[in-house]
Amino acid sequence: MSDAPLLDVRDLSVNFHTQDGIVRAVDGVSYNVSRGETIALVGESGCGKTVSALSILRLIPDPPGKIVSGQTLFDGQDLLSLPANRMEDIRGDRIAMIFQEPLTSLDPVLTIGRQITEALERHRDMHGHVAMEEAIRLLKLVGIPQPDQRVKDYPHQFSGGMRQRAMIALAISCEPELIIADEPTTVVDVTIQAQLLELIRSITERLNTALILITHNLGIVARYARRVYVMYAGHIVEHGSALDIYQRPYHPYTKGLLASVPRLDEPRKIRLQPVEGQPPDLIQLPKGCAFGPRCAGCTDGCRESSPPLIEIAPGHFAACS
Amino acid sequence: MTNEVIIEIKNLKKYFPVTSGLVRRKKIAELKAVDDVSFAIHKGETLGLVGESGCGKTTLGKCVLQLYRATSGEVWFSGVDLCKLSNKKLRPLRRNLQLIFQDPFDSLDPRFTASDIIGEPMRIHNMQHTPEYRRRIDELIQLVGLSPNMADRYPHEFSGGQRQRIGIARALALQPGFIVCDEPISALDVSIQAQIINLLDDLGDKFGIAFLFISHDLAVVRHISDRVAVMYLGKIMEIADRDSLYDSPLHPYTQALLSAVPIPDPIVEIKRKVIILSGEVPSPINPPSGCVFHTRCFKAFGECPKTIPQLVDVGVGHQVACLLYQGPPAKPK
Repeated sequence: MSDAPLLDVRDLSVNFHTQDGIVRAVDGVSYNVSRGETIALVGESGCGKTVSALSILRLIPDPPGKIVSGQTLFDGQDLLSLPANRMEDIRGDRIAMIFQEPLTSLDPVLTIGRQITEALERHRDMHGHVAMEEAIRLLKLVGIPQPDQRVKDYPHQFSGGMRQRAMIALAISCEPELIIADEPTTVVDVTIQAQLLELIRSITERLNTALILITHNLGIVARYARRVYVMYAGHIVEHGSALDIYQRPYHPYTKGLLASVPRLDEPRKIRLQPVEGQPPDLIQLPKGCAFGPRCAGCTDGCRESSPPLIEIAPGHFAACS
Repeated sequence: MTNEVIIEIKNLKKYFPVTSGLVRRKKIAELKAVDDVSFAIHKGETLGLVGESGCGKTTLGKCVLQLYRATSGEVWFSGVDLCKLSNKKLRPLRRNLQLIFQDPFDSLDPRFTASDIIGEPMRIHNMQHTPEYRRRIDELIQLVGLSPNMADRYPHEFSGGQRQRIGIARALALQPGFIVCDEPISALDVSIQAQIINLLDDLGDKFGIAFLFISHDLAVVRHISDRVAVMYLGKIMEIADRDSLYDSPLHPYTQALLSAVPIPDPIVEIKRKVIILSGEVPSPINPPSGCVFHTRCFKAFGECPKTIPQLVDVGVGHQVACLLYQGPPAKPK
């Protein structure tokens, strides 16, 4: 692993223009991932974790979305300033994406095989039989039984777990350097979730692929991620190693989240400790710290201005005064 | 919790016909969504029902409430078998049987205000002209932790957690003795889930309501349930007291399910050994022979594809349907 990160996102801000006003979906977010490393972006719906990852691939629909500032340095090159055709060379080849819902992200009118060969033709210059053989090999690799038959099937003929496997095959078809997995197992069951995550882990380890795991599931993060970024209302509120985040959480939101989920390995609690209040309205964010209205330790200072990310221990950052 | 049974299900089956043909629909197969399920729920007790999608847990919940009419079997509630009653005769009993839905977005009528929604069960039972009607709505709104000035707002003005609170208030309106909660928190954000669980917990204690709590989240089910049933392909695999099931799961499927749940602690996770089941859940149209789980079971042996295991009591009410626990002849390889 070299010192320079493979992907370095700096001060990214993305706005969405809606009828009700401007939504600052991502507001000054910075994160990085090294080769072969797995990081996690954690947070609840609407916190900006998906938008901040889609921005890397420039997949934000514009309008209504707009990347207003920031850099995404991939291997030293700012993806945000690349011309569209150069971006297409990278998308699917050096950076691949695994989406949450494979039924809507796979093309329903193309066979699974065709979707994989399409990527191989575009990026690997493989055609005809060679490409199809490779597609079958990939489907076999991700554990699809009878891949030579299933390669001719359409997405609707696959079960949910199988579709997600096909999606993984597609993502790794060009041996990418970075995979972005956006809630890859949210729609499947726990036993299938365990299968798929182990599959993703074994592939990223073998190919030394960097992985950005986007999820709201704190258990999955603990099992797979080396470093963790916790997001709330478009900001990163805390980041550090997985050990820092789980053993020594600093930000009240991180603490609240960890305390609110029941754990199977601990004695059953009489009562859960919820994070009180409601998630913020992104159009009318409070002045100062967005978590302020739900925070027990909120001070006048917090209400005045949003606390910056400060290094509270080596490699452990938190945005809380 | 008392020993008085509030609802008892006996040999409940629900088969859906699978048809083919556009004009003349022919039945070509049967989907066994719920296949011979029996259990009882006591007054004030919460029975957790876990299982993967498609295992029949929602169908079971709907059959209990008679929203689906069972293919065969009995559902005993206050001395009558609900399955044998006509819809007309069921109606007065329905006020005691309520449902809380998964999706707080689809299950509330967007054209009704919060107080209209909460009052609807009372209107159905012709109680809107009683002086109590308005007072009861206000009481319910406060009971579920909403503020009275929200009564005249429409569903879209509420957040997901608040909407689920409205759904809960509606279910409570007629003071039911039994509520089916079908995945009541899975559509909510993590930080909101604990609020709703605590609310259900409190209401159950306060009013002595029995719950059938359907969920795929094993940690949440452990928190809220007194007893837990594990379902797979329409059958109950294991049913036991909460602690007994979580501390010493007997069925291989339960063991695999529990080990598949990641624990939010990297130190614990490093040391944990996960049982990864092979394959996927088979189709309920053509379920495997013998034990339906044998195709994915890591402890399966020669007898498993041949013999259907019965749910047997292995002590202190811990019941399991697995040949490993069915008497002397069976021995694992």
